Amino acid sequence: MEVFVAVTLVVLLFVALASGLWIGLSLVAVGLFAMGLATDRPVGDSMVLTIWGSTSSWTLTALPLFLWMGEILVRTKVSEDMFKGLAPWLNRLPGRLLHVNVIGSTIFAAVSGSSAATCATIGRIALPELRQRGYPEKLAIGSLAGAATLGLLIPPSIIMIVYGVAANVSIAKLFVAGILPGLVLAALFMGYIIIWSLLNPEQIPPADKSTTLKQKLHASRHLIPVVLLIGAVLGSIYSGVATATESAAIGVLGSLVVAGVEGSLRWKTFVEGLGAACRLYCMIGMILAGAAFLTLAMGFVGLPRHLAEFITAQQLSPFALVMALTVLYLVLGCFLDGISMVVLTIGVLLPTVQAAGFDLIWFGIFTVILVELAQITPPVGLNLFVLQGLTKHELVYIARTATPMFFIMLLAAVLSYFLQDQILWLPNRM
Amino acid sequence: MLNRFAFGFYKLLLVLSGLAMVATFVTIMLNILARILGWNLPGLDGYAGYAIAAALFLALPATLQNNEHIRATLLLDHVRPGVRGKLETVSLLLGAAISGYLAWFAVRLVWVSYTLHDVAPTGDATPMWIPQLSMALGCVGFAMAFVQALWSRFSGHPFFAAASTDALHAD
Repeated sequence: MEVFVAVTLVVLLFVALASGLWIGLSLVAVGLFAMGLATDRPVGDSMVLTIWGSTSSWTLTALPLFLWMGEILVRTKVSEDMFKGLAPWLNRLPGRLLHVNVIGSTIFAAVSGSSAATCATIGRIALPELRQRGYPEKLAIGSLAGAATLGLLIPPSIIMIVYGVAANVSIAKLFVAGILPGLVLAALFMGYIIIWSLLNPEQIPPADKSTTLKQKLHASRHLIPVVLLIGAVLGSIYSGVATATESAAIGVLGSLVVAGVEGSLRWKTFVEGLGAACRLYCMIGMILAGAAFLTLAMGFVGLPRHLAEFITAQQLSPFALVMALTVLYLVLGCFLDGISMVVLTIGVLLPTVQAAGFDLIWFGIFTVILVELAQITPPVGLNLFVLQGLTKHELVYIARTATPMFFIMLLAAVLSYFLQDQILWLPNRM
Repeated sequence: MLNRFAFGFYKLLLVLSGLAMVATFVTIMLNILARILGWNLPGLDGYAGYAIAAALFLALPATLQNNEHIRATLLLDHVRPGVRGKLETVSLLLGAAISGYLAWFAVRLVWVSYTLHDVAPTGDATPMWIPQLSMALGCVGFAMAFVQALWSRFSGHPFFAAASTDALHAD
């Protein structure tokens, strides 16, 4: 019976999404169906309460405000300037300005705790510039889809807070433990861009003429606004002026100041940016609302819990357990968002994980990497949706561009099993 | 005439959504200032949450009309035009049904909160029906937009705004 319900739901979700029904509404529809099957609670009332609860929370405000910041910045010369300033430095590196995706995401990940915000902000700024300069679209979108997930691994990170609370481990230690794997993953993404560019040199636009160090430094003056903006946001977090959630408002303020100083802040562009931000957030928010309700319904059906119980019952060796959990999160990641995956499974899994002798801080990092993977696995992957909204490319095309990044992250997840001591070195020094 | 009125309504809701986004920003800035300067302004966290929910729901119809709610179009792009037309109609019908369901229960939530005197758990005890009004209004507009899109399909009026000339748009 349970297998039947599970298969039905999965098929239904595929049909709903593939039919061309809007994604947020598809999630709501499958949630309604699942909940109707699983309980005799009043479905409609639970639906609006869940949707209201998940969309009216204080912590959610960071995402829309960062989206607004991106819309303000894209109407200034800041993004163009950032590329002008970085271009001479990246001239010699194969892949050149494509690395802005990875570097930008890594830095922005340190500002925001969410992968969707990272993806939308960096994508809004970098993708038009890369396209205009003739960089291959496929690699530009793919590398961004992958690198933007670093928003989860590099502190501050919302998902680590959720895991830390659920598993009762130190959130500060989790944050510190995430830094090194985050940087390694960023290096792997850059490595992929380098290798791809060496193999396909004809697809990368030609280098600018080489410049002296003095010229490079002179060109770097274009980076001043960006550096000040990032400095203001990060500074506000680490000086305690603003919390990680509030820092998004500092980002909006900073980008308005930058636009004002630059002289591009006009009533018309302000209104356009605000409207675009509202609609972009509305699109993402509707999907988040649908996902929240689908998660509630899945909880009633008990699917994630049953899968987790099944794995627990197998008495696997530590390595086999890690492999089984990888598969579990990959499957769940196709349908659920990261936070729900952690919340729905962690209670069942933790005793097994502890009994197998794993450190819970390490397991947190491992889980976050798998949750990152879930952001780019179709049919439900938030980064894919954000990129579809930004580029208007078909979802399948975007999922295909992200495939190499998927395997890189999978490699990182498996590697983390062999590098447990190295990952735990930094947090154990605290 | 009715069409013009409806489009005006979506536009108005989008303006309100923009105001809600600005209100979220201002509320959070106030919260930061209050902490630095030691003012006592309780409940700001809650207000920012209500404002951002309003920004989301009030923008629903305008986002649909701008064709910015995303969907998977792979199948639609690869079937014969006649089949595509039928699928589009089914999508709009389903959209109208689900958004109508959502709107009904969103309105009901406001009513329930009002009659049960449900208040926010935070210190300021805001009556919950006031912020929930934004969700009801936005969802009703959303359902209305789906019905209008469906009706426009049969009567041949344009509903969806022409594809944006955004720099990011590529084909």
